[in-house]
Amino acid sequence: MLIYALVLYLLIGTFIAVYAMRKVKSEEDYYIGGRKLSGVVSALTYAATTYSAFMMIGLVGLSYVSGVGALGFELFYLVGTIMLLSYYAPKIWRLGREKGLVTPGDLLAMRYGNKSSKVLAILVAIALIPYTSLQVISISLLLSKEIGFETGIILSAIIIALWAFLGGMRSVAWTDAVFGVFMLLMAITAVAFATALLPSYEFSRLGELLYVPNSFWRYEVFVSYTLPWFFFALTNPQVVQRIFIPKDETSLKRMVILFGFFGLLYTVLVTFLGLQLRLLTEFGVFPKIADRDLVTPKFLELMPKEFNVAIAISIFAAAITTANSIVLTLASMFSRDVIKTRSVVTGRVFVVAITIAIALFAIQRPAYIVDLAVMSSTILLCQLPLIFGIFHWKMGADFSATATLFAGFTTAVALYYTKATLGIPIGVWVIAISFATFFVVSMIEKRFKLERS
Amino acid sequence: MRVDVLVILLAMCIPFVAIKSMDLATYLYWTVVSALYLIYVALKRW
Repeated sequence: MLIYALVLYLLIGTFIAVYAMRKVKSEEDYYIGGRKLSGVVSALTYAATTYSAFMMIGLVGLSYVSGVGALGFELFYLVGTIMLLSYYAPKIWRLGREKGLVTPGDLLAMRYGNKSSKVLAILVAIALIPYTSLQVISISLLLSKEIGFETGIILSAIIIALWAFLGGMRSVAWTDAVFGVFMLLMAITAVAFATALLPSYEFSRLGELLYVPNSFWRYEVFVSYTLPWFFFALTNPQVVQRIFIPKDETSLKRMVILFGFFGLLYTVLVTFLGLQLRLLTEFGVFPKIADRDLVTPKFLELMPKEFNVAIAISIFAAAITTANSIVLTLASMFSRDVIKTRSVVTGRVFVVAITIAIALFAIQRPAYIVDLAVMSSTILLCQLPLIFGIFHWKMGADFSATATLFAGFTTAVALYYTKATLGIPIGVWVIAISFATFFVVSMIEKRFKLERS
Repeated sequence: MRVDVLVILLAMCIPFVAIKSMDLATYLYWTVVSALYLIYVALKRW
């Protein structure tokens, strides 16, 4: 049955992609849908891009083992995102229109110079290719019993590349919109099924899982989880690029608000499912699971086949919607920011090349892939001073921007491996070092330029 | 820093110091505060 469902999923998405392809006339059409997408489609692609397979697998498991703190961590992210978008999104959207910006690198290049956008593209690839490979690995493991692990990776790679290749942003956004709604419906179905299994709502059985701090969510743990995600809306290029796509400011506002409500509902459902499953464990209905990533797969085994397949497809869709958005954004950054072409063909070549890189990473599963995936959001924090600098400060140029990115990246990697953090979350270090580097090197760069002139 | 930003951040931190009950109070509190903030942004902030 899963095979038929996968074929149906592939056919629906490909039909949408082929239809979207007819509208690709220019580079702007391909990468950002010609800046003509509606608020609703923009909101759903923003949501589907943001909420990956992590939600139904990782966050359910995290709620199961750690309790309500998982909801707090995810809602801090959501509140931070809405806060940042309500302030910065209109400014970024207007700049995009006025200056013809297409990629997040264009934003940096416009303000600091071309080198910074090239360095950013490389850092983003280092951070996001392993992260995307991990998404592909997790859904391939989920499907491995039915179709085999390597077949799962190849199938995922084909879908990721095909839809982005054909119709670019419109194709990705429309498929995101369709499957984003499907993800939400399947989360509701999963919660309804778990509710039917519960003998009673005696949540007090969960003990310390019902409050924070507890033995899992200590203050420093909460900060280390929350901080990189809090700034996600400004530091992750696949969502920054989506600020350019709404057709007008009303659609932009609709995108942000609808995304917020989608995110709130999805987060509440997913974390509640985790708590329900833990309560079922306390009642002896659901086995105690030590590995949190196995909570959802085990739960799926309890469900009737039709629901099991539908939810598995929704998790698969969640991973694909995130992955193809990342691939398209990376392709646009390499094409425009690194090799400086304005050709859709080059963008499509990069879509295929980046997807092949992701699939190879996923098949080989090198030991450091998990490290890089975990570090991805922390690494991307190094852009924060540069993005704030665009809107708040006049200082900074190409050298200081490049030095900031390099210093933040080096700090993230060095601290992750040496663990010499002095008990301070790595994200705090990355932000502190990046800002310090930006201010100090900007001043030196300015003085040097003055002396030369 | 804008006052609304400070208020929402402090409000989100309250469960760490003020809610220790053995029920879904923390869960419901975070959900309601986030929903109220979204409504505030939708109606007032933009």
